[in-house]
Amino acid sequence: MSWDTARQAPPSETRNNQGASLADAIAVLQRLRDVVRGQVIGRDDVIELVIIALIADGHVLLEDFPGSGKTTLAKALGEAIGDDRDCEHFIAPFRRIQFTPDLLPSDVTGVPVFDSASNAFHFRHGPIFAHVALADEINRTSPKVQAAMLEAMGEKQVTVDNVTYPLDDLFFVIATQNPLDLVGTYPLPVPQLDRFLFKISMEHIDRQAELEVLETWRSRRESPGSGSVLTRDEILASRAAIDREVAIADIVKSTLVDISRNLRADERVLQGNSTRSLVLMLPALQVAAALGGRNFVSAEDIELLLPRVLGHRLELAPGVADLNRILHDNMREPMERLAAGTLD
Amino acid sequence: MQLADLQSPDRQGLLPALARAAIIAGSYWLLSLSLTVSTGSFAAVAGCMAACVLVGPQERDSPLKRLRTTVIMFAAALLAAMGMIAAGIITGSSFIATLFGPVTAFHLAEGVKWLSFSFALTGAVRVMAVRSSAGGIIEVLLVATGFVIILSAHRNGMINRPFFLGDFALSRGLDPATVLLVLGCGAVLCLSALLLVEENRRRLPYHFAVFGLLCLSLIGYVQTFGLPTPRMTDDLGLTGNSAQQRENPFHDGENNTENKQAPVAVVVFRDDYEPDGGAYYFRESAYSQWNGYMLDFTSHPEMDQDLIPAPGAPPRETVSDEGRRLVSTTIGTLTPHRSPFGLDAPIAFENAPNPDNLRFKRTWDAHSLVPEFDLNDMVGLPAGDPDWPEEVRQEYLRLPDNPRYGELAREIIGDLRPQYAADAFARAWTIKSWLDRNGIYSLANEHAYAEDPAASFLFGDLTGYCMHFAFASTYLLRSLGIPARVGIGYAVPAANRAGGSALLIQAIHGHAWPEIYFEGYGWVIVDPAPRRTLVDMTTDPQNELQQLLGDMLRGEAAFEEFLQEQAGLTINWQLVLGALPALLAALVLASYTVKFYRLWIPAAAGLAGQHRLSYRAALDQLAALGIRRRFGESREAFARRASATAPALEALTAWHLAHALGERPPSLGIDDWSGMRRRLSAEIRGTTNVGKRILAILNPFSWLRAK
Repeated sequence: MSWDTARQAPPSETRNNQGASLADAIAVLQRLRDVVRGQVIGRDDVIELVIIALIADGHVLLEDFPGSGKTTLAKALGEAIGDDRDCEHFIAPFRRIQFTPDLLPSDVTGVPVFDSASNAFHFRHGPIFAHVALADEINRTSPKVQAAMLEAMGEKQVTVDNVTYPLDDLFFVIATQNPLDLVGTYPLPVPQLDRFLFKISMEHIDRQAELEVLETWRSRRESPGSGSVLTRDEILASRAAIDREVAIADIVKSTLVDISRNLRADERVLQGNSTRSLVLMLPALQVAAALGGRNFVSAEDIELLLPRVLGHRLELAPGVADLNRILHDNMREPMERLAAGTLD
Repeated sequence: MQLADLQSPDRQGLLPALARAAIIAGSYWLLSLSLTVSTGSFAAVAGCMAACVLVGPQERDSPLKRLRTTVIMFAAALLAAMGMIAAGIITGSSFIATLFGPVTAFHLAEGVKWLSFSFALTGAVRVMAVRSSAGGIIEVLLVATGFVIILSAHRNGMINRPFFLGDFALSRGLDPATVLLVLGCGAVLCLSALLLVEENRRRLPYHFAVFGLLCLSLIGYVQTFGLPTPRMTDDLGLTGNSAQQRENPFHDGENNTENKQAPVAVVVFRDDYEPDGGAYYFRESAYSQWNGYMLDFTSHPEMDQDLIPAPGAPPRETVSDEGRRLVSTTIGTLTPHRSPFGLDAPIAFENAPNPDNLRFKRTWDAHSLVPEFDLNDMVGLPAGDPDWPEEVRQEYLRLPDNPRYGELAREIIGDLRPQYAADAFARAWTIKSWLDRNGIYSLANEHAYAEDPAASFLFGDLTGYCMHFAFASTYLLRSLGIPARVGIGYAVPAANRAGGSALLIQAIHGHAWPEIYFEGYGWVIVDPAPRRTLVDMTTDPQNELQQLLGDMLRGEAAFEEFLQEQAGLTINWQLVLGALPALLAALVLASYTVKFYRLWIPAAAGLAGQHRLSYRAALDQLAALGIRRRFGESREAFARRASATAPALEALTAWHLAHALGERPPSLGIDDWSGMRRRLSAEIRGTTNVGKRILAILNPFSWLRAK
């Protein structure tokens, strides 16, 4: 799906008094997209999915190899978002956490340190207090750290020494794992994978894009973007606007449920996807629709997101590997009903 | 987008493969039915199916794929030959015959033979069809042959052939021709299906619609104009259509025996009658008046007064009932005839109700005074009628101005014993006997373009057919002062009746003969019968056909009752077959109505339904051009695919979905919708050619596939 195909669809002109309009929200998304695209070349589809997850309040797991630009992506995303509040200075736009076997939970969350001047413990915020956190090679660290990280992702808060510290509303994690180099890793179990909205398997960028990276890497390093182009509040406002403005028809919801039920009944699938996955998918579908310039969720959004949302949530029967075939088989009939249903 | 790439690859599905196997097996069944017992037919079908199933997937994978075509052909020929040999061994072996009994052994042999034959042939043909694009033609021809062989048995009006179909139809109260017609339609559909199975499946329903219309028009043609009639050559001009009426009755070179068996008429006897002379003579008319070149139909009002001009004319008093008996017959012609005919000598024709307008061109009751006298009674009778005016008598004696006729005639009768030398009948009989001995019957020799064909025949090679003999005899008789003429009509061997009350007249029975007028008895046939013949004039017994047509002609009688009885037993096939075309026509009409209603309704509807109606109309337009959404494909993806033909569909789809799925659709006016429809139509006009658009309009079922 390209950004431009559905432009003909008339964007809603309805302007609501409460908060930003859908048109404003779309403008915000496109600005964000353009900035990130300027920094990361040849990854338009991934950028799109990452922005969808950011706005839909989800997190992303990238299955990727080193040096493929995920840090650049996360950094560009984080730096594009400025924070104009004064009090929250401990929240960074972007933090990268390298997960290693000897990492401790407090290295992630932060730790209370004794301040001799004030004779009291002060909480020193960990790297997790950021708008965009890059959890690099999350499967290399111990399950304890993984659990702390995932709790933070799920609850949007960290608890240290029985004190709970809330994270920002705009807390977005891009976790990565190397799919090949598995020696000495702690693979994430399926229930933990459920915390991630998308699992995106990245492929090598094409020849032209790779050449372009080599051409422009120096200039891009020297001029690190144009700074923050939009604020945290703008993001939150567009999140609210999209949630409010983009409609999800009943037939779309029943399509999602039917696909899930088909998958659970499929004997090639050991364990189907959870109901929560569908709940999480709804805002993502709305954002995808908005990115397409629509104020309603359509079949295209489902086709785009469903494999990314459900792919890591399904446990396949032993010996079965062709996930795309399974998804295709189970989607066809409900998708046909959805398409045919618009003429009823 | 990974999911889009997962559309199933375009390979032959199971259903088309099975359909092809079924069609080819069907043609084997038809082919084998008349050649073998039921076991053989079943074996043929089984072998064909097995070959289709085996060759289909094997040819794509291994190991068949690696073999050369010639090797496979050779193996197939070998297999067929081995089957033949095995069958020969089974039937020839006394061991197997004693073990299973001879009948079982025969069935076994037939089964083996047909199984190997059909397996080998189908396998070879399938491999050819898969490997080369022209190979499929052989397959189609094979199927076509199966049907054509069935249908060809029916040609020339042999309406009871092939027997297994004729019996099937008649026992259900059907006209066999209707069954064959349906079979022919089925053949067309099968062949088209076979062709299309190889091709793009999306075109199949459309092509079927066209073929269906063709078949309908064929049925409609027959209902309107009747069944085609066999064209006769050996009919002596009896069935000649009036436009081609020729003065020359000699049709040399146009006679052949190809259609000699074709039935032209059937006669039902209301009174029993068995002729003395061994043949039934049906007189249609006579050549009696000299026109300066040859004998022709008379225009003299007082000549040939026994001939009846038309059915319904008053009975002729001119035929004497001396030695004659009244016999009534009903005659129905299967081919058009110039004028009615009746058993010698007809005295009245009455139009009779035609029991089957499609079958019989014309039916009439013929009342005849048939001769019961002995020809020997003619001895001593004067020839000619004393009541004739002298002028008429002279007309009956005129002949070509050629003294050789008289010389030859006197030479022939020179051997007569003195007491009979002046007797008319004795002279006539002597001339007949002379021609019997010396004439040679042949259809090949040409005399027609001689100035006097009869002279060319008589003084030449004496080789010719009935018309030559009749003219030659007549001239010889006239040269001796005996009033004679050439009668034309049909002569059917008496044995053909085979004890029934119906008599079939076939094309080969067309005949001409000399007639002599004897005082008190009228015109008497004295027909030369050459002993030597170069033509095989025998015909196969047509008893079933004779009886069948006779039953049909009787109409009211047993046949109708039989049909009624049969019709009461099962469903009314006649009605079903009659209603089927009407039903199909109604279906097509209704489909057109729906199609054009769906295209028109957006223009008439209000704003509220536009997002459905306009979009549906656009889908219909594209579906007619063969552009249809695939199963499971999203509307946007389809719109992108169709944008090569109609880019406007993308915008229309967006509007439609915004209404169908969204809560706040864009505010559009009725003009926006109609403008978009016009834009779409204009784009279609710009991107597709005229022929394709015309076909799109003609296709009545296109809207069924729009979704």
